[in-house]
Amino acid sequence: MSKVKPAPLPPDTIIGGYRIIRKVAAGGFGLVYLALDPEGLQVAVKEYLPSSLATREAGELAPTVPAEKLSLYRLGLKSFFEEGRALAQISHPSVVSVMNFFRENETVYMVMNYLEGAALQDFIITARDQKQQKVFRESTIRSLFDEILRGLRIVHQHKMLHLDIKPANIFITDDNKSVLIDFGAAREVLSKEGNFIRPMYTPGFAAPEMYRRDSSMGPWTDIYAIGACIYACMQGYPPNEAPQRVEKDRIATALTRLRGVYSDNLIEVVEWCMALDPLSRPQSVFSLQKELSREGERRYTKLSVAEKVRLQFDTMVSDTKKSSKSVASSVAKPK
Amino acid sequence: MKFTVFQVSRKGGRQLNEDRMGYSYTRSSGILLLADGMGGHPEGEVAAQLALQAISALYQKEATPKLADVPAFLTAAVMAAHRQIIKYAIEKGMLDTPRTTVVAAVVQDGSAYWVHCGDSRLYLVREGQLVVRTRDHSYMEQPPQGHSPSRSAERLNRNILYTCLGSPTKPVFDISGPTPLQHGDKILLCSDGLWGSLDDADIVRQLSARAVGMAVPDLVESALQRAGATSDNVTVIAMDWETPDEFETTNGSVSTDQMQEGAFASTVQSGGLEAGEDELDDAAIERSIAEINDAIRRTAAKRR
Repeated sequence: MSKVKPAPLPPDTIIGGYRIIRKVAAGGFGLVYLALDPEGLQVAVKEYLPSSLATREAGELAPTVPAEKLSLYRLGLKSFFEEGRALAQISHPSVVSVMNFFRENETVYMVMNYLEGAALQDFIITARDQKQQKVFRESTIRSLFDEILRGLRIVHQHKMLHLDIKPANIFITDDNKSVLIDFGAAREVLSKEGNFIRPMYTPGFAAPEMYRRDSSMGPWTDIYAIGACIYACMQGYPPNEAPQRVEKDRIATALTRLRGVYSDNLIEVVEWCMALDPLSRPQSVFSLQKELSREGERRYTKLSVAEKVRLQFDTMVSDTKKSSKSVASSVAKPK
Repeated sequence: MKFTVFQVSRKGGRQLNEDRMGYSYTRSSGILLLADGMGGHPEGEVAAQLALQAISALYQKEATPKLADVPAFLTAAVMAAHRQIIKYAIEKGMLDTPRTTVVAAVVQDGSAYWVHCGDSRLYLVREGQLVVRTRDHSYMEQPPQGHSPSRSAERLNRNILYTCLGSPTKPVFDISGPTPLQHGDKILLCSDGLWGSLDDADIVRQLSARAVGMAVPDLVESALQRAGATSDNVTVIAMDWETPDEFETTNGSVSTDQMQEGAFASTVQSGGLEAGEDELDDAAIERSIAEINDAIRRTAAKRR
């Protein structure tokens, strides 16, 4: 039995003076609508309505929360506020901005500027399906992340971490601006001992310290995710999960394959950002920006014949490993 | 693992709620926590909060996803909590230390283990019967060794404890378990606000009648009503233990089977000690919204 998703508010519903046009997105936290403000300007309205904790029948306005979930529902509200608080303090073209916050229908709404465009993730998928050598041009990658890093720097200046940077949370607008969205995981960084709320992460983009529970996170944690995003823009696929990398790290090999396609400098930047040891990464957005915006001729070191052979051999070995594994499991099944 | 948890804390007739509660779980282990900050000493609510944070932090570190040795963990956790409170008092140069009781229950591998110090209790109920409950560290319930039962007034006062966390003397605590759990078992942790006004039979009967999500709010309400205008803080966290799916998922339970290996969930809030209430009440929601809108206006003003 699948969970019934809460029904979205119907078009033309007026909430807090905003008129709903249509639902544009839904996530675990709730729903996002395109709406018009009293002056007729487009806004995005995010409604707190976690589908695992609340239901709403079509035609109803207020969600229904079962008594036994009320505690969790209210607790979830805290992170919704956390996101509002984070965004309220920041005003930067590369960071989604929040314009209003209000309570109605027994839940809470956040009004943000409405962005037209698509997530970086969609662009990556479209680009990789064209099966060209390069997923994105290097200059595109550099200018895109230059903008994102400017925004991220402001976020860090406000003593906050995003903690869920990934291509799905980088939005490219139709007028070619990149904007960091979804600060649902953002937390104020407290240096206090015993601060340990860090429950969620996205595999591939989450730094190893987000899995390890004893170490502290910092700007370098978001920087790891930035490195992983650049990697995804080059490869077309997310990198391996951090715990897998700790076991056996294939990132270096994967990056070697990109030599000659992308400049040595860009490949080195990704390796630097994605170092497993937090101390080996750029410690601030500023130091990363400096490296990424470095002017000058790009060097491309092509693979030597010997390296190509070695890479091919690696592929063969890992392919046989995979196939022998699947044989073993199919043998085991009939038992 | 599959279970349903419900927790609620009510201030009663007191100025402050010095009780704290919370729970955390991983894919294959869970912990329920409750602490009751003590009056008569400063900052009881801080002691209770620190105790929960310290235990939860250690749990988060060691439950990967299971605890290797539960009794050893419980000992270490209680001592860590105790030290954390002392450290806090020293850092603040306090003349007297904050103090708290604590009770914590761990479930993993189908069994329960628990530890308690002071008079916050654990009840384990099965099929309408009380299987076990903790004995308070009060002169009435459990006189300490070497303490001959005298006819002094303190012996008769069930509220006088001879141990707690945060006191300069080393805490005394009891560890129990493993106790194998059966489908439908209920584990309840409560502060003395509950058992002070309801007797064990009442607690067991009401808890057995319905799922924790329904039974616990009513249980707390009846304790508050019984105690009247001067009621102590009443805090309860309780769990319905379910054996993994015989039938479709029942409403509201937590099933940890779908959790990722390293995943961790917790209701214990860290940081701000003043943020003790487990959930936002209406006033707090309004306050948060006002704060955010205020920040939006200030940021917008800066831009101009």
